[in-house]
Parts: sequence; structure tokens; C-alpha cells
Amino acid sequence: MIAIPFGALVLGFLVVYALLPPVPPRWADYVAIAIVAGLDAFVGAARNWMERRFDEAIFISGFFVNMALAALLAYFGDKLGVDLYLAVVVALGIRIFNNLGRTRALLVTARVEARRARAAAPSE
Amino acid sequence: MGTLGARGRRWVIPMTVVCLVLGGMLGIQVHSQRLRGASQVGRQTSALVGMLTRNSAQVEQQNEEIERLRGLLTEYEKEAAGEKELARIMQEELHTSRIALGTVAVKGPGVELELSDSTMRAGGNFGEQDVYVVHDFDLLQIANELWCAGAEAVSINGQRLLTGSAIACSARLIEINKITVASPYVFTAIGDKGKLMSALNIRDGVLDRLRVLQFPVKLTPKDEVVIPPISVPPKYEHAQPVEKESKR
Repeated sequence: MIAIPFGALVLGFLVVYALLPPVPPRWADYVAIAIVAGLDAFVGAARNWMERRFDEAIFISGFFVNMALAALLAYFGDKLGVDLYLAVVVALGIRIFNNLGRTRALLVTARVEARRARAAAPSE
Repeated sequence: MGTLGARGRRWVIPMTVVCLVLGGMLGIQVHSQRLRGASQVGRQTSALVGMLTRNSAQVEQQNEEIERLRGLLTEYEKEAAGEKELARIMQEELHTSRIALGTVAVKGPGVELELSDSTMRAGGNFGEQDVYVVHDFDLLQIANELWCAGAEAVSINGQRLLTGSAIACSARLIEINKITVASPYVFTAIGDKGKLMSALNIRDGVLDRLRVLQFPVKLTPKDEVVIPPISVPPKYEHAQPVEKESKR
């Protein structure tokens, strides 16, 4: 089941890489920041999944809206001559890192609990 | 992935959509980054490149505009020159003015002087090399010498020297008419060959001083040299002509 989204990721990459012309350099920054926002949504979803409060609607809206907002913020930063770009990168970077750490902790906890449960079962 | 399956498959479709989009964006980014050459070109570089391209485009556009306006001017002149004595006199006046203003290329007998940084090298301390490079004041002195000897038109590395021309030191280079030039510096001057030669070669003059320090100096009289027009014509924003015996 996990293969479908993964296949889509590869497919999207290959199709765009092969068919579409590269974006002009001044857009590349906005695409980059949108990707970072997308990654953030992704990692956030992983954490929510582990905490058992994953919701498709929140995930998909967060993904697209955050992407657009991040790119827009960077764009306005450029227009204003303020490096809002950096603010977005820092904020998202911290969030991604936090969420990754949280996900890892939850994974480890889940595994430890499972092992404990297995160890406890035969004795009873 | 048993836990995932256990909670139903509703996540598959949004996840697929998101992955597709994310993959596509990664594709765009990797593609354009690769084409940008180095993987770490960096944001500042791209901004600078953007600025450079914008400016180059602007310069090109303005050069075209200059060409166009010059063409127009020539046309008007031709029209005006068609008739009458007055037109002829005005034409002559215009001719002189244009040489003085440097908007036309001029040719004639004169001299060519090539000057490079000294072959001597200072050792050791930083800053000592200063003695052995050509400075803005060297060029100023030579230019002054040329004007004194009656040069009618002078250029350095193709930059026409005119009334508003500044020769200024700009870091390790020299700016003439706000355009950066570097060694070797080639002076071209139109005027009386003999006078120009002897003025430059005057004993203990500027060239003598430079020769002592082993600056390569090549001074040659020429039967015909061509001096290009000024690249950026002066603009007069503040100065206004005073009208004689006006209202007061």
C-alpha cells in the first residue's frame, strides 16, 4: 500500500524532470521554499499519524496552503528587500526537526511498549 | 505496515496526490539547479546575476537608443545642409561643437602612448608595489601635458577625454568617464605630432619619471589615429544657459 504514494513521488519527479523546461532562476528560490514547506507538511503528517490524530483534510489543505504561503512570504520578502526567505527556512527547519524528533520518540516508545507487552504475556 | 492498513485506506489517495506534487516540484528544482551549473550557486549569486542581466539589457537598450538618436541627428543635419549660406555656417559651427562635445569619432595625425605597470616588483611588505603601478595622477599628468601641447582630441583606452571627463582612482583600477580601465593604458592624441612628442619627452617630465622606475613606455608618432566618440554623452541637469540681456 505504501508503494502507491512512493511510486507517485518517483513518477512526478521523472515526468516533470523529463518533460518540463526548467523554471527561470528567480523562481527557483520560491520552488525550493515551497518544497521545504511540503516536507514540513509531510513530517507533520507522520507525527500526527503516530499520535493517532492524522486527518486527510488537514494534511492535504496544510500541504498546499503552506506551500503557497511559504513561497508567497519569500516573494514579499524579496519585494520588500527583507530576507523573509530566511525566516521561512528557519521556522520550517525547526518545525521539521521537532516533528522528526517527536516521531522518532513515538516510534521508539511504541516498540519498547510492544516488547514489554510480549515479555509480559507468557508469564501470565 | 500493519498499523497503517489497520486504520483503513483513506490515507492512500491524499498521500498519493501530495507525493505526486512533491515529486514534481523536486523534479523542477533538481532540473533547474543542474542547469544552473554548480549545485551550490547560492542565492546571492543568482541575485547578482539577475542584476547583471537586467543592467546589461538596459545598457544595450540605451546604446540602441543612442544609435537611433545619432542617426536621426545626421538626417536632420543633411536636411538642413541642403540649402543656404546660413545653413552652411551653422553646419560648420555644429561640426566644431560636435568635435568639442565628443559625439563624433575624429581622426588625424597625432601620437600614441602605451604605458603599463612597472616591470620592477617590490618585495615584502604589502603596499610597496604602489610605487610601481600606474596611478590616476600619472594619467592626469600625461593628459594635461597633451592638452598643453595643443592636442585637439585625446582618449585613454578608447575613453574620450572631454571637459567633464574625470580620471579617478577606483580601488586598484582607474575610472575614466566612470568607466573602469586597466593597464596597459593607451593614450591616443590628435594634434601636432612634433609638439606632442616633445612635450611628453620633456626632460624630467612625467615620462622621464616613469622610465626611471622601469614603467614600459612606448611613444609613437602616427600619421593617422582615430579617436572614438564619447560612450556616454554628458547630461546637463543643473546648468542652464544664461540668456544675454534677458528681462532684467
